Amino acid sequence: MNTNQTEDNNTVINISHLTKSFGDLVAVDNLDLRIFQGEVFGFLGPNGAGKTTTINMICGLSKPSGGKIIFQNYSKQNNPNIRAQIGICPQENIFWPKLTCREQLHFMGRMYKLSAGLSKKRTTDLLEMMGLKEKSNVLADKLSGGMKRRLNICMALIHDPEILVLDEPEAGLDPQSRVLVRDFIISLKRDKTIILTTHNMDEADRLSDRVAIIDHGRLLSLNTPSWLKKSIGEGDLVEIILETEKFQRADEMVNSLKKLCKQVKFSEKALIIKSKGLIGLIPGITEIINNHGNKVMEIRLRENTLEDVFIYLTGRKLR
Amino acid sequence: MKLLSVINKCTREQIRNFWILILTVSMAPFFVFIYYLIIESTKPHYDLLILNRDNGIQTMGATINYGDLLIQSAEEFENDTSEIPLSITKSDNKHTALKRLRTLKADALVIIPENFSEVIHNPDMANDTINTEIEFIGDLTNINYMISAIWANEILNQYMQELTQENKPIKIKETSLGFSGSINDFDLVVPGILILSIIMLMFSATVAIVTEVEQKTIIRLKLSKITAFEFLSGVSIVQIVVGLVSVLLTGIIAHWLGFDFRGSFWSLLLIAVLTSVSIIAFSLILAAITKTVSEVLIVGNFPLFLFMFFTGAAFPLEAKELFTIAGYSVTLPGLMSPSHAIIALRKILILDMGLKDVVPEIIAVVLLTIIYFLIGIWAFKARHMKVE
Repeated sequence: MNTNQTEDNNTVINISHLTKSFGDLVAVDNLDLRIFQGEVFGFLGPNGAGKTTTINMICGLSKPSGGKIIFQNYSKQNNPNIRAQIGICPQENIFWPKLTCREQLHFMGRMYKLSAGLSKKRTTDLLEMMGLKEKSNVLADKLSGGMKRRLNICMALIHDPEILVLDEPEAGLDPQSRVLVRDFIISLKRDKTIILTTHNMDEADRLSDRVAIIDHGRLLSLNTPSWLKKSIGEGDLVEIILETEKFQRADEMVNSLKKLCKQVKFSEKALIIKSKGLIGLIPGITEIINNHGNKVMEIRLRENTLEDVFIYLTGRKLR
Repeated sequence: MKLLSVINKCTREQIRNFWILILTVSMAPFFVFIYYLIIESTKPHYDLLILNRDNGIQTMGATINYGDLLIQSAEEFENDTSEIPLSITKSDNKHTALKRLRTLKADALVIIPENFSEVIHNPDMANDTINTEIEFIGDLTNINYMISAIWANEILNQYMQELTQENKPIKIKETSLGFSGSINDFDLVVPGILILSIIMLMFSATVAIVTEVEQKTIIRLKLSKITAFEFLSGVSIVQIVVGLVSVLLTGIIAHWLGFDFRGSFWSLLLIAVLTSVSIIAFSLILAAITKTVSEVLIVGNFPLFLFMFFTGAAFPLEAKELFTIAGYSVTLPGLMSPSHAIIALRKILILDMGLKDVVPEIIAVVLLTIIYFLIGIWAFKARHMKVE
């Protein structure tokens, strides 16, 4: 079997030429991608990039204006059996405020045609896994924000779907809940295919096997987080912030720095330098900066992030 | 099974939305109570004034005033017929009497003319030039005037019969239809208020559906395998139960306040269930055109007022016939199912008719319910359940 055949066999969702327009606004523009079985697939992009619109089409909540979404061997996008195999945790918490945690999970289980016994068992298991066991009999609108978010994730999983869609799962979570949710998502890896949308690079980086960076409805890049970070140049990155807002003799200074490191550019108020073995080069870099009449206030040394990838691809930060 | 789960969920939510539930089921019983207080404090009463201008006549050395005798006869009639809410008051001058009529302190004024005794005593002299004329004065559009005038006429006839010793060749026998002879104003409004208690479901049912749209839980239902029919049926069944509880409470309060239930209980129950289904079906149309509870409260007032005031629910209403179908009159209010339900309940509870006598009304309610349901489910699916 060659690589293409393996990919075909592992593909759960095959999206081709997917387009969605709202009047003149093209929210998703000719999107082509494949999502493989058992992977955590991250959609990374700023607000309004088309992430939620894409997952709404995947879930069958929205009709594509063009293109296709093929689930394994199914071709009907609104096939109810396919839809039942997807669990969705929407961006905003959606539940019945006048039902307890247990009641609404059990109710949703029954809606997905689980037997009463199985629905009760899954309800109990999920509440325990998400740290909501003690809140089982509390009305949903009495829960804290983090607990509501966790309940929202439980609702997506009650029918044990093969595909789990998490739209900004860590949004509005306190640090404790964030760790709990992150660990829970990691625990589901391989067993389920997880589609994650986020504008949080750290979340995408830590959780995703592959990340699709989208902006203005278009796919900019798709690969593993490490590949994406390497794609903009290997090595570390140093961010230098000066005491004054304006660089003295900036062009001359950049030319001198480029003799030392390959990538030197200004980003807003900082000077960004990328190179291998940057730690050893820092004394030389500061000397050049000082020699051009500038005074360094702060030096930040770090690895490439997905945000750097986004800046590299779009020329701007994630909004 | 899904239907049972929806019923279970909706029941819990309905009970926990305590205030909506309480207001829905208590509105009509409260309405009955208020109606009773108003009607009891304004029981029908007719005030008749009599002004005697009769000069009397001299006969055999004595003065006879037939006007005074007429008043005396009227007072005897008043005393003998205590079940008739008629008060007869003698008036001294026309000015004061007219003032009482204008200020609604009296309903009718009867003026006995100056030559009354003269004409009564010597009827042969009554001709084209000499006669007597008893004048009735009052607001001709006021039903109290009409009833007071009828009684005044009756008193006058009896008096003339006594004077002339004439026998009436024709006697009129009055037979009441069903229990209509013994009912009062309160009894008359109770069937309408029983249906009003179901009309109040309109808000409760619409809110139960629209809440799913407003809090976006409809998305979860759309993603599951539930159909619009299963979901709406579950909501409807809970609302029917709420409607029946409201009817039951209204009936109990009405009975406690003196309403005598006649007719078949099962016929009443059947009509209550059909009307509940009909109102819920109409609520689907309302739910389809609204997206939030606030919108329901604003938009819902329009059909609520139509259903309350133009079906006969709040007060008895006679409407002009538009056309007939198989001998059954169709009126403009007839486009609203509660109007047929109210007619059916009046027939059963007041006119002591059976279920077979209200078949046309039942058919009308069922047909309108089917129309409401078809429009409601189509519109709801198109607005809230479709994939955009």
